[in-house]
Amino acid sequence: MSATELVTVTVDGREVHVPPGTGLVETALAAGVEIPVFCYEPRLGAAVGACRMCLCEIEGMPKLQAACTLTATNGMIVRTAQTSERAAEGQEATLEFILVNHPLDCPVCDKGGECPLQDLTFRWGPGNTRMTFPKRTFEKPIPISPAIALDRERCILCYRCTRFSESVAEDGQLVALNRGAESVIATFEDEPYLAPFSGNVIELCPVGALTSTQYRFEARPWEIQNVPTVCGLCPVGCNIQATTREGKVKRILSRNHPEVDEGWLCDKGRFAFTHLRARDRIADPLRRVRRRGFDVLSWDDALGEAAELLMQAQGRIVTALSGSETVEQAYALGRLMRAGLGAHTGVLPEETSPALDAFRLPLSAIRDAELEPVAERAPIVELWVKAARRQGAQVEQAGDALEGCRRLADKRNALGKSLRESERAILIWSGEEGAGGAHLAALAKELGFAGKPASGAFHLPCTPNGRGIADAWAAASDDEGPNPEPIGLLFVSGDEAAADPNVRALAERAERVIVNAMFQGLAVGWADLVLPGTSYLERDGTYVNLEGRLQRLRRAVIPPAPDELAWISKLAERFAVEVSPHASAVFAEVSERIYDGLPFGEVGEEAPLRTRSEAPAPQLPSEPAAEGKGLRLVRYRPLFSGPAVERVPELQFQRPAPEVELSPGDAGRRGIAPGETVTVTHNGTSLQLRARITKSLREGIVRIAAEHAGELGGTVEVAK
Amino acid sequence: MARGNPIDSVKGFGVTFKQIFKKPITQQYPEYKRPVYPRFRGRHRLHVHENGLEKCVGCSLCAAACPADCIRVVAAENTADNRVSAGERYARIYEINMSRCIFCGYCELACPFDAITLGNEYEISEYSRDDLIYTKDMLLAEPIKKVPVADRDLYDTPIPYYQEHS
Amino acid sequence: MAIRELTLAHAGERDLSKLAEYQAIGGYKALAKARKMKPEAVVEQLLASNLRGRGGAGFPMGRKASFLAKGTGKPTYLCVNADESEPGTFKDREIMLLNPHRLIEGCLVTAHAIESQNVFIYLRGEYLDVFEVMRRALEDARKAGLMGDVTIVLHRGAGAYICGEESALLESLEGKRGQPRPRPPFPAVSGLYGSPTLINNVQTIATVPVIVEKGGEWYAKIGPEPSPGTVVFSLSGNVERPGNYELLLGSGLRELIYDLGGGIPDGRELKAIIPGGSSTTVMTPDQLDTDLDFNSVAEAGSQLGAAAVIVIDDRACMVQLALRSTQFYMHESCGKCTPCREGTRWMVQLLQKLEDGRAEQSELDLLLSVCDRVLGKCLCALGDFAAGPVVEYVRNFRDEFQRHIDEGGCPFGGESSLEGTFAPVDQHTHAPVAEVPA
Repeated sequence: MSATELVTVTVDGREVHVPPGTGLVETALAAGVEIPVFCYEPRLGAAVGACRMCLCEIEGMPKLQAACTLTATNGMIVRTAQTSERAAEGQEATLEFILVNHPLDCPVCDKGGECPLQDLTFRWGPGNTRMTFPKRTFEKPIPISPAIALDRERCILCYRCTRFSESVAEDGQLVALNRGAESVIATFEDEPYLAPFSGNVIELCPVGALTSTQYRFEARPWEIQNVPTVCGLCPVGCNIQATTREGKVKRILSRNHPEVDEGWLCDKGRFAFTHLRARDRIADPLRRVRRRGFDVLSWDDALGEAAELLMQAQGRIVTALSGSETVEQAYALGRLMRAGLGAHTGVLPEETSPALDAFRLPLSAIRDAELEPVAERAPIVELWVKAARRQGAQVEQAGDALEGCRRLADKRNALGKSLRESERAILIWSGEEGAGGAHLAALAKELGFAGKPASGAFHLPCTPNGRGIADAWAAASDDEGPNPEPIGLLFVSGDEAAADPNVRALAERAERVIVNAMFQGLAVGWADLVLPGTSYLERDGTYVNLEGRLQRLRRAVIPPAPDELAWISKLAERFAVEVSPHASAVFAEVSERIYDGLPFGEVGEEAPLRTRSEAPAPQLPSEPAAEGKGLRLVRYRPLFSGPAVERVPELQFQRPAPEVELSPGDAGRRGIAPGETVTVTHNGTSLQLRARITKSLREGIVRIAAEHAGELGGTVEVAK
Repeated sequence: MARGNPIDSVKGFGVTFKQIFKKPITQQYPEYKRPVYPRFRGRHRLHVHENGLEKCVGCSLCAAACPADCIRVVAAENTADNRVSAGERYARIYEINMSRCIFCGYCELACPFDAITLGNEYEISEYSRDDLIYTKDMLLAEPIKKVPVADRDLYDTPIPYYQEHS
Repeated sequence: MAIRELTLAHAGERDLSKLAEYQAIGGYKALAKARKMKPEAVVEQLLASNLRGRGGAGFPMGRKASFLAKGTGKPTYLCVNADESEPGTFKDREIMLLNPHRLIEGCLVTAHAIESQNVFIYLRGEYLDVFEVMRRALEDARKAGLMGDVTIVLHRGAGAYICGEESALLESLEGKRGQPRPRPPFPAVSGLYGSPTLINNVQTIATVPVIVEKGGEWYAKIGPEPSPGTVVFSLSGNVERPGNYELLLGSGLRELIYDLGGGIPDGRELKAIIPGGSSTTVMTPDQLDTDLDFNSVAEAGSQLGAAAVIVIDDRACMVQLALRSTQFYMHESCGKCTPCREGTRWMVQLLQKLEDGRAEQSELDLLLSVCDRVLGKCLCALGDFAAGPVVEYVRNFRDEFQRHIDEGGCPFGGESSLEGTFAPVDQHTHAPVAEVPA
């Protein structure tokens, strides 16, 4: 029997065949007819039919119907405004009613030029107004958060923002108050809109009611250029457009990759781009001069100095990578270090492993799964998990990830049994110590995911391109070498590495240090030579995201300092290694070795996920020795942390407070009430933090954000 | 054998000779400046309300309408202590590149606030191209040189709305 | 025509809110009988009775019950719409105050018919006394073990007319904003919590026991064939004896107003009649001889609606009536769909201007155009209820509207009986105007 029968629908006299259940708006689009909409947004759930913009005549129904609420059935005859006078009048009526109290703000409104209300009024609306009464006014604009401004006069009450807040981000902070003509949009109890996905309402709002304060009055749509690229602040790799004007990035919009981000961006990716213009951004190479601080060098001098330092180290070089380099950068660095200098040691903040390649899936598969144990949370992935829960999936929190893996692998475990039986189960692991996904891969193999195309596993690393870098570094040379002892030179690449206390510890042991960073604050005091770095928005190259998807970055603006590939290639020359300064050529080399010769130009705008590959099957590590009394400390990286976010004023209100999270049981036993200041001790070091009780935390575990945890680690004790 | 009549050449000279005694119609600029029509499109001017607030809100519609892409507008927000225009925003930077401008008047038509109009001055030559980029202060100010304008009543010129209403 | 009391039978003689009294007149016998019948058989009786919904829409109840989706694996729910907010109606209040156990019995019988174990009575929040009476009656019924395996939840609304609309009622019950849902899907397929739900008016449910007891065919023979049975008419306005009168459907309008109601006081003339609550269109005195049943009133160009007959004499200014009515709908509009939300406000502004005498001739046509743009384009019927009557007021009393324009003011000069009934200015601030007494 045929898989899906198509139904025939006639729209404005044109016949079209679509699968049954397709929304009528999409059906009309398939027939080449546009039905205007405001409140219809399929990503927000079921259609509400609130704005009445999409009114059309359906044969057999006496009243005009809202097309967005209807689905295609066989033999349906639809007449839209283009052929039906009643429907045209209905749509004009809707626009007239919207405009009756809409302020004449177009010249001063940020949405002007890219405003659906303007466009639809031009196409379907009345030519002039019949309203002679004074329009209703509100105080405007109201900042509902440092990043978003609300203008109630412009709001057309399409409820897209409240539906997003209620059913996608599920934070319930943006609500509608009052009723009828008095309805307004507000935040709950007038608190600021504090949620990691709040910025999406700016893109959802069809008028200029919700606008970005960062982008306020910055540019008009005809003065800008949109550069399609990929966000490089977290391993999800959401597809974005960087809006630039006169050579500066002015805002970030989503480019909607249906499998990766579905058109949503987290606030970090959306608002953190201003770190490109941070005050302590370095534009010139700097050399440390004792007692005087830093001297500015010319590039020739700097490269000469770097070459000297590299030669002096005699191959005892350790490269500390931050995980946000592009694949090309990592390969170029690898060629320089490994092929040119014989220094094979590269350090990443965490392990990577190819083991999960056998269970590869796009992120959108999370929404369609039926069973998911989740270890912790992560940005866009959280939205996918919420969508899954709304569709009826069973989502389990597995608590401590490694222990969770062991429990699930046990054949007697009930949840483990359901996972084995399910056809669409997904494992998600977030947090430290995941061995790059190897543990998860072992569990997945144990649970029998190998033969099931709809089942898979995701490991959420903390670096945006860790996997790509590890592979590129490995591909740079076939030789191996021992770890240098003592370390002659530490080459620190990237700001995250420069901010990492582990790398600082390495720097203490190294004789010399070269740092390649964007911000001066991080490198002062311990680097011998500082080379200015670039951001993901300023580089051409590729990233590999947590799914294993290769995505193309594009340069949105020209950086104040040359691209890393430019000076790496010059340095490499001095050591008789040929590295091209152009990303496309470098990629061609890398691609031959590890990406099956995929050409640079074909990495694609909506990059596909490569099919699963066989990978070695690791074993789950055995139970470690009991760690002694005390609470196990889990250091986690909150979403709004990192050197980029620290330099964005609009995001400071989202930064995590210096808190330690405890389970209710542990807090109760120690007599700690929420909000009290407690002392957390470990091996002699101690810190004062505020206590916070988290119900979902398992007993025996405490969580502290990495930036507040200082030197603590392992097991700690918490006391009042 | 056809022979050109030499008298014809003399006739030609005669035409030229007669011109010596005719009054020339050349207007000797710059001693005589012919008055321009009242709606002559010349140098731009940015206008101000009676209370001193600028009319321009920095909406950039003039830049959008301009076929020569010669207007640059960068907007900024009016604050309580620095209120420049009558709306929520004002033009922090407003530049017109006079060497690109074709004086079509589309910016004047596009402006929703009658903030920019084309005046009558055409004596705006400069020695350097950089000097031809007019900034907001230059456009707000009265023009330095003035040209004679024909009497409005001689022509059926409607008075633009902005000239009678602030 | 006589008063025929089925729903309010014996309510005048005894205190039927007491369980013992109710059982003395034969109460809960229908429940016992229904529980011995199969659920399908009860639905059969309802279908046979041809009982039409008494909430205003007049949809046959048996058919509605039979539409309930079966075999979905989800529980079925019964919702009783006790959110009586239609201007002019006060019959459900009377039924619940005087005869609460009849409603409870009706709930239990209907719950049995649709195999539901959960009944929700959504009660208008302002009916505090009714709440107390119902609560006590439910307690008594529970103590007497009459509930069986059914749970009846008495839920108070929070002051919104729109929550009387069935899908908005379900949203409100679910704890969300009381705004209607797009239909389809209808509540019979996906209602409360996405499960098959039957929603009916209080009076409809209160009629179920007598149908089950005496049989559907018996009921179908009472009154005119297309709309059988009795209806509690709420008579109000300019009459001597306003109140609730339970009459056979098909009784005459003239008899109701002049015989039972005692006619217009003070020797005034009848000017207009609203037959079914302010949502229905106005009738004029030449239509006095209309029979009060669904079909006859529809033929006369109006709707029987919720059977709330409002009598208006010649002291009332029709423009003021239109304004007051539209102010109500503007205040009660939920704000979800654009035409109702903006259209009712614009209509109020235009009507206010007309009443003040500041309107121009074109604005009367503008008012009609706005009404036309609201009619048929809204998400629920509230928009139609707001705009439809205004169109009819203008059509039937055009000269009065014209006089407002020509004379530059209300011809009644402040003497209209509707003077002073308009919404006060700070109605819309939603902030407490005075201290709430402890």
